[in-house]
Amino acid sequence: MDAVEKANLERQKRWAKDQKVGEGAYAVVYRGREFATGRKVAIKKIKVGQFKDGLDMSAIREVKYLRELRHQNVIELLDVFSSKTNLNLVLEFLDSDLEMIIKDRSLVFLPADIKSWMAMTFRGLEFCHRNFILHRDLKPNNLLVASDGHLKIADFGLARDFADPGYKMTCQVITRWYRPPELLFGSRYYGSAVDIWSVGTIFAELMLRIPYLPGESDMDQLKTIFRALGTPTEEDWPGHTKLPDYIPVGQFPKTPLRDLFTAASADALNLLNKCLIYEPRKRISAKEALFHPYFTALPYPTHPSKLPKCTTHLSARALEEVDGNVEMNSTGPGVKANNSRLKRKLSSPDEDSKARLIARRLDFTKQTPHS
Amino acid sequence: MLTVEPAPSASPTPKRPIYESSTQFRNWRFSPEQLSQLRSTLNASAVAVIRNTLENEKPGSSSVVSFLTVEEEHLLVKLYVTKITQLCGLFRFPEEVEATAITYLKRFYLKNTVMDWHPKNVMLTALFLATKTTNNPISLEAYTTHIPKTAPSDVLDLEFLVAQSLGFEFAVWHSHRALWGMILDMQNIPDCPSDTKPIYESALAHVRASRLTDAELVYTPSQIALAALSLAAPEVASQWSLSKSPSEPSSSLLSSETLHAVVETIKSLITSAGHPPHVEAVREVDRRLKLCKNPEKIVGSHAYLAKKAEEEKKAEAKRNKKASETSQAMKDGDPFGNELIKAPIGLVDYDDEDDD
Repeated sequence: MDAVEKANLERQKRWAKDQKVGEGAYAVVYRGREFATGRKVAIKKIKVGQFKDGLDMSAIREVKYLRELRHQNVIELLDVFSSKTNLNLVLEFLDSDLEMIIKDRSLVFLPADIKSWMAMTFRGLEFCHRNFILHRDLKPNNLLVASDGHLKIADFGLARDFADPGYKMTCQVITRWYRPPELLFGSRYYGSAVDIWSVGTIFAELMLRIPYLPGESDMDQLKTIFRALGTPTEEDWPGHTKLPDYIPVGQFPKTPLRDLFTAASADALNLLNKCLIYEPRKRISAKEALFHPYFTALPYPTHPSKLPKCTTHLSARALEEVDGNVEMNSTGPGVKANNSRLKRKLSSPDEDSKARLIARRLDFTKQTPHS
Repeated sequence: MLTVEPAPSASPTPKRPIYESSTQFRNWRFSPEQLSQLRSTLNASAVAVIRNTLENEKPGSSSVVSFLTVEEEHLLVKLYVTKITQLCGLFRFPEEVEATAITYLKRFYLKNTVMDWHPKNVMLTALFLATKTTNNPISLEAYTTHIPKTAPSDVLDLEFLVAQSLGFEFAVWHSHRALWGMILDMQNIPDCPSDTKPIYESALAHVRASRLTDAELVYTPSQIALAALSLAAPEVASQWSLSKSPSEPSSSLLSSETLHAVVETIKSLITSAGHPPHVEAVREVDRRLKLCKNPEKIVGSHAYLAKKAEEEKKAEAKRNKKASETSQAMKDGDPFGNELIKAPIGLVDYDDEDDD
């Protein structure tokens, strides 16, 4: 046997697959463990044989970037090995994700909890950006939470290196509700500001407990954004009407964030506002955000171990995570963002409006069960 | 192997360049001695295996075979480095694709030998993989139809092997990027020529020549870039490195004397080894390779068929075992088998035939 095959077998022998926890079109996820230590892991088995162009792009991106990144707020890729025609990624095992936590109505968030999740998100993202990597698919469902409460950025299937100035990139990235207006207008030249917008919408979602800008189509997404933040003027965002897919979607007045986020602190709204600036070049950077007064003002961020935790199980998450990220026959980037399957549906419109009302009157003075 | 990120409360550790946390820095840097040691070991063990296989087929047959030496293997790989450049010209792939594919090819032959895997196929796979890892994908069909006598399977069959040999470490730091950074820096250096384009083009040619050498397996991308710049415009290069040297000596950085020595070594490496091999010399090596290739890797050969048959026998035994287990379970009355018995460590079936 070749040395390379042998080394692969050695790697493979380190890990045990225990139980299938999810299956999608392109991967199967197992819960597993490391034989030597008993450490729990997740093993994502990617079926490669069925791709006519070999190893598919999202698997390649995920492996490429996770191999390089080591940070406590980025999911750790522990090992990679192949078995027959499958590629196996051994990832650190994480119990839940921010989407599950947001949706769990039995949990109450304190402002300090939200601050803690935001700090961890920005730390992980600052590390990615410092390494010249754009994530391009930030959303609550991709922010995984470990049993000790640490938040980790996951799913690098759409990530890429920063392009050189003048080098085109695709605008078909980031799940719609978290996608910034410059991408909706078809901008092919962009930078780390696209991820910051996503973090802004996640920040808002943590406060509201429902998605902040849930557009029903790409066109409606722009309308939803402008309805919430006002239609940008040439002065707000110079040159945006010249973007390739620019289309006027109506004039909406600016309304103060305060009207919706009644319970948020001034610092919180100031940071949120800076994440959602239309002009991408003026949007705050991850590094600047970490130095924002919001993070040093009282209340201090909750210690990760004390954050609200989900009681639901992992299987649901794993299923969604592996679900159709990729078109079987395409070589281009998996256009996850356009996939209607990925839209999260609330159970009824009735419940939707109720949730909204509750969110508007977010009351942070309640006692939490976990404190 | 890995450095653990310090907890936020820990005392600040000295800042390390991002490059030093890369897989390239951690796993793909060697001293020239390590490189030659590695290659000799690979060569010797490949020769031993092939000799053994040949003897099994026909005793005494290996004595007439002249196996390739380390230098001859290296020469052949170098030729295929130049083929990558040709193909990239044909497809008009960006520089990054070319540089990455070349790195992959070189790294592959630090884990394998040409007597097992001919660089012609490995080169095709390495290049195809590089288009994907650098985010410049093209369809396999478009790729193979433009390369004469190449079927999709020629490329895909080796993809796993190549990816494995690379340790699935796809990110590569390139010296042409470092060079571009230096050119941008030059705009801020007083007394620098205002037109940097001729300097850049000449230095880039040296960077490209360095890809035909082992430089990237020994030195950092910025050291190689500086050497290339120094070959193109020595005065500008020393001004640049002066502008970058800290006012106070720092323990983490190379001293200017060491850096100078490193740069000079790379310069002479580029000048002495940075050109394509003579086709005639390579043709002779390739002709001999046909006679000393590992027969187990030649589709259709006796040894190949024997190996396949052996593998098939194992798989068959496994299937039979599984089938008899199932029928036993049926007999025991529960078609779904009994309660799972925890497999003892090391005896797990990894093939997961059920869900492939």
